Amino acid sequence: MMDELPVYVLERSFAAPQALVWQAWTDPALFARWYGPGADTKVAEHDLRPGGRALLEMRWGDKAQYQRLEYQTLTPPDHLAFVLVTTDAGWNMAPISHQPDWPQQLLTDVTFAAEGSITHMRLTWTPHQASAAEIAMFRGALAGLGRGWGAGMQMLDAMLAELQG
Amino acid sequence: MESALPLASQAPLHSEARMDAVFTALADPTRRAILRQLARGDASVAQLSAPFTISQPAITKHLRMLERAGLITRSVHRQSRPARLAAQPMAEAAQWLLEFSQFWQGSLDELDKMLGTMQQTENKDET
Repeated sequence: MMDELPVYVLERSFAAPQALVWQAWTDPALFARWYGPGADTKVAEHDLRPGGRALLEMRWGDKAQYQRLEYQTLTPPDHLAFVLVTTDAGWNMAPISHQPDWPQQLLTDVTFAAEGSITHMRLTWTPHQASAAEIAMFRGALAGLGRGWGAGMQMLDAMLAELQG
Repeated sequence: MESALPLASQAPLHSEARMDAVFTALADPTRRAILRQLARGDASVAQLSAPFTISQPAITKHLRMLERAGLITRSVHRQSRPARLAAQPMAEAAQWLLEFSQFWQGSLDELDKMLGTMQQTENKDET
């Protein structure tokens, strides 16, 4: 009934060459500059190879959030894939507070395509080694995202269509 | 970006028990079909059981699960107790992904700015 995993897709184009965009994603000093909006992001460990990991701390004043990236694919300059793991302050996998069914591991697949001086990025998230509850939450949330929840019935109808799809 | 709040600072959006009930309720194809029908308008147990080969008591059982999950409400004023859709719990489920997405959108805004700055610097170096 629900064999296909739900996938979130985010697309974005940057007015920058592909090699530079790749560098911004994979050089820890550059990555820390943009990752985490308004956050003071620190890269505590960075092992850029398939099977390697990056440990991130993002701080907003006295609030902090921790993540672990586990690199799977590194094909410069066009394909990067890592598992994004929510962690505690010691970078051990842990659920996000108040959201126990949020997938603790999201396979994050990023591709970069060059078109002249423009780079088109396509990012997808897919629950990774997820429980049925995590998959259900992601699927339900995904169906509603960007549809405007105020629309009520129409939104629900669309979501149910996706749940059955 | 103001809207991209730090994830860790978010207040509880809902009770966890409620979310469990929502996802359990949505896991069943008959209950999803009931919700789809209710999306087109309120309906009684008799009306809801018509498209299915299952009994009215079975439909009533499904409605009770949907009601417990907060996905529907049932009128107490009319004998037929028509069921009505309530969308709020699913809105709560989407809220978290929205925040996660805003985190990324906000990050990519900053990446965009950074790439702009880096290229300006490069251009200056070249001239």
